[in-house]
Amino acid sequence: MNELFSRLTLLAAVSATLGISACSNDDDDANEVQPAAALKTETTTNLAPMPRATNPTTGQPGTPKHYAFYNLATKSEVPYTDSATTKWDIAVRGTTILTNGGSSGPGQGGALVQEGLFAEIVAAPTTGYQVDSPTAKAITTGSGKGWYNYNSTTHIVTPIAGRVLLVRTATGKYAKLEIVSYYKDAPATPTGTEPSGYYTFRYVYQPNGSVNLK
Amino acid sequence: MTLLGSSRQTNAQGIAADTSARHLQLREVVVTATRTEKTLADVPIPVTVVSRQQIRTIGAVRLNDVLGEQTGLSIVADHGRGVQMQGLNPEYTLILVDGEPLIGRTAGTLELSRVAVGNIERVEVVKGPASALWGSEALAGVVNIITQKPQPGTRGEVRLRYGTNRTADLGGTFNHKQGNVGLTVFGNRYSSAGYSLQPASSAATVPPFTSYTGQSRLTYQLDDKTTLSVSGRYFIENQASNVVLTTEAGPKAEMRLRTRQQDYSVTPSLTRCFSDKVLGTLRFYYAGYRTQEDYTYTVDGSTYDASYFRQTFARPEVQLDWHVLPQHTLTVGGGYLAEAVEATRYERRQQMRSGYGYVQDDWTPLPGLNLLAGARFDGHSQYRSQLSPKLSGRYQVRPWLAVRATVGRGFRAPDFRQLYLNFSNPAVGYSVFGTHQVQEKVVQLAAQGQLALDPATGQPLIDATLLEQASNLTAESSQAYNAGVQADPNDKLRLTANFFHNNLRNLIETAAVAQKANGQSVYSYRNVSRAYTQGVEVEARYLVLPTLTLSGGYQYLLAKDRNVVAQLKAGTIYRRDSETLETARLTPADYGGLYNRSRHSANAKLFYNDAARGWSGSVRGVYRGRYGFQDRNGNQILDAANEYVRGYWLWNVAAAKTLRQRYTLQAGLDNVLGYTDPAYLSTVPGRLYYASLTVALGQK
Repeated sequence: MNELFSRLTLLAAVSATLGISACSNDDDDANEVQPAAALKTETTTNLAPMPRATNPTTGQPGTPKHYAFYNLATKSEVPYTDSATTKWDIAVRGTTILTNGGSSGPGQGGALVQEGLFAEIVAAPTTGYQVDSPTAKAITTGSGKGWYNYNSTTHIVTPIAGRVLLVRTATGKYAKLEIVSYYKDAPATPTGTEPSGYYTFRYVYQPNGSVNLK
Repeated sequence: MTLLGSSRQTNAQGIAADTSARHLQLREVVVTATRTEKTLADVPIPVTVVSRQQIRTIGAVRLNDVLGEQTGLSIVADHGRGVQMQGLNPEYTLILVDGEPLIGRTAGTLELSRVAVGNIERVEVVKGPASALWGSEALAGVVNIITQKPQPGTRGEVRLRYGTNRTADLGGTFNHKQGNVGLTVFGNRYSSAGYSLQPASSAATVPPFTSYTGQSRLTYQLDDKTTLSVSGRYFIENQASNVVLTTEAGPKAEMRLRTRQQDYSVTPSLTRCFSDKVLGTLRFYYAGYRTQEDYTYTVDGSTYDASYFRQTFARPEVQLDWHVLPQHTLTVGGGYLAEAVEATRYERRQQMRSGYGYVQDDWTPLPGLNLLAGARFDGHSQYRSQLSPKLSGRYQVRPWLAVRATVGRGFRAPDFRQLYLNFSNPAVGYSVFGTHQVQEKVVQLAAQGQLALDPATGQPLIDATLLEQASNLTAESSQAYNAGVQADPNDKLRLTANFFHNNLRNLIETAAVAQKANGQSVYSYRNVSRAYTQGVEVEARYLVLPTLTLSGGYQYLLAKDRNVVAQLKAGTIYRRDSETLETARLTPADYGGLYNRSRHSANAKLFYNDAARGWSGSVRGVYRGRYGFQDRNGNQILDAANEYVRGYWLWNVAAAKTLRQRYTLQAGLDNVLGYTDPAYLSTVPGRLYYASLTVALGQK
């Protein structure tokens, strides 16, 4: 009983201290320059190009002819007819991801792959961005090299946990992006038979041109 | 302490009969730990002995039945059933028959069911590295199968056993010894209709098979100091099944698969006691292993694929045991080994040679203290020479308490497949090349356009770093520490505990060095991992009644890849939750260790043996705790709950009655609870009923 009582007292004391420190924190904040409102994490689901007609003998959908283009600022897909403009930032087809720059487009786009947690990356680096070229993409293709692992036994493509894509957009803005699924409707445990090439990703886009991605 | 000691003495006087029985057990002699005859109780190294009596009481038929019930050993399935010891895979345990290695491993596993147990006198299991005496493969330990030696008189035995899945075992032994000639003969036929755990699938889990084993030993006493002995062994197994394969051409086709496995060996040896202080042994061992695998189309009987594998092993060896001083026994030996392999999966006949020498001093500086120091040198034609030292000690602290410790090195040489393999799987399409071939073969495949091209660069998908590592393969090695106690607090109870730590370097693993155009990979081997296995093994045996023994065993095991642990500490391994798709960083605590290892394993056994009334029986339970099966969340390590196979108990019972000291009837039921896990446990069928009749022939 005694013990319980002392614990309660302690608890009360701790909460009191916490309360005080919380208040003083607020005061400190008021004196500082107010940071910009936190950026919103957007989630895009099932970004995929239109597949070609289903092969009648295999029953498999055909390989898409075009990429699916996406604008991170407007959070919307861009028709492939705009591929030669700076209206798009990234494009996907199969396991390949393009950025709007270099050999892929007229923009200032580029990317780099960084290890870490999405939430922990609070600022975009200013250097180190790769640009698409005819021989190598900014986001390296191949199992284990870029954003995914391919299991040759189960034939499943898994986005590598802890790999974050830092993207420079067509207009030179920064964004961080994490791919979470390669299969339609992001099944919890893909079997490899679901329609593939359907990207589900979350990203944070900084519209003001700074490197802040908090 | 005095109190304990005196009560122990009183006990000892109280049950004189038991102590004499137990003393008999204490005087049991083993040969594997020191390569000399040494009393089990005095050996400074952890040794488990499974007696003929015990093998009979559990109704065992093949070696895997025997080993699977021992503390600290697990039967694991990977291209056959092998034994996992101290958390190490089957390829790290040397399997001997009368001191000579059984050859013929598939992907590192020596199929334990190739060994029939009908003529086994005892099985000795030495834990911890024994490369200081036995050379390559004796990294986790050694299993030595000691067969019966000719005993005076003429007698024989016939045994028939029949059980579930139409499993029939028919065997017989014959023994004769008169004057200076001795002979033992053993024959066995073992067959089964196999079983299917997934009836919906067309392929049987274990297809029907029939095997025959013949083994014989002839001894001839040349004079009162010299004995000549010749042993031979032959084993053949045929298996056939129907399988549906996706052929390289594309369409699926039904095939008949016939496989044949054979092994044979002959061992002449000469033993001479030069004096009561010097014993010399000269032996020659020649062994062969062959397999054949034929796929034919069921429609027209034409051949789809045929492959074979032929391995030979020849080894002369000499050993001298010398009681230099009353406190010292010196053992010196040496030999030469020539191995060859010829197979569909190898380009030509490949040969390797090695020479070796070993020395050991068995020293008793004080009464109760025994030190064993030894070393072995192996020089090899294909890889770096290996020096394997070892030091062991045992001290009798109190009459009822002894402590022992060992430190030693073990190694496992790269095997033929890791050196020379040249194989492309016709059914699935992947390729595997040994270290000697891989550079050349990858270049060849690239030139033939069989490698996948990087869509971005148009270059073949070759991992240059891995390819470089694959071309420079060396032996795997371990530094091991064992320490334990042996206690007999009273005459009914014995407790043993052993702590072990194996620090493994240069472990060989497969690596995908290139991607093929057919979507499969080109694999080779590389020394990469550093790992450790450590744990503790505890055993207790209690004599409830003179006829009833209760025993229990437990092993706690940790086995981890050091590279993974380092990455986890650096915080560079992540996991994505499959439901929320949130990514989290993993900590070392999330790591489940190497796949296929149970952190907890245990057994409980009750043995009953009333020789006077002719009854015997046993109830045995073996527990294998949950273990990792495969990565499911893409981070390549064992960390999520759905990557484990759940733990399970297998309970077995058997009872036997001997009539007129000649006829023994036995009935048993393995896996009483009918436990199965079709997706993950192909080696555990459901309940297995059996009954057997043994008839003893000749003089008793």
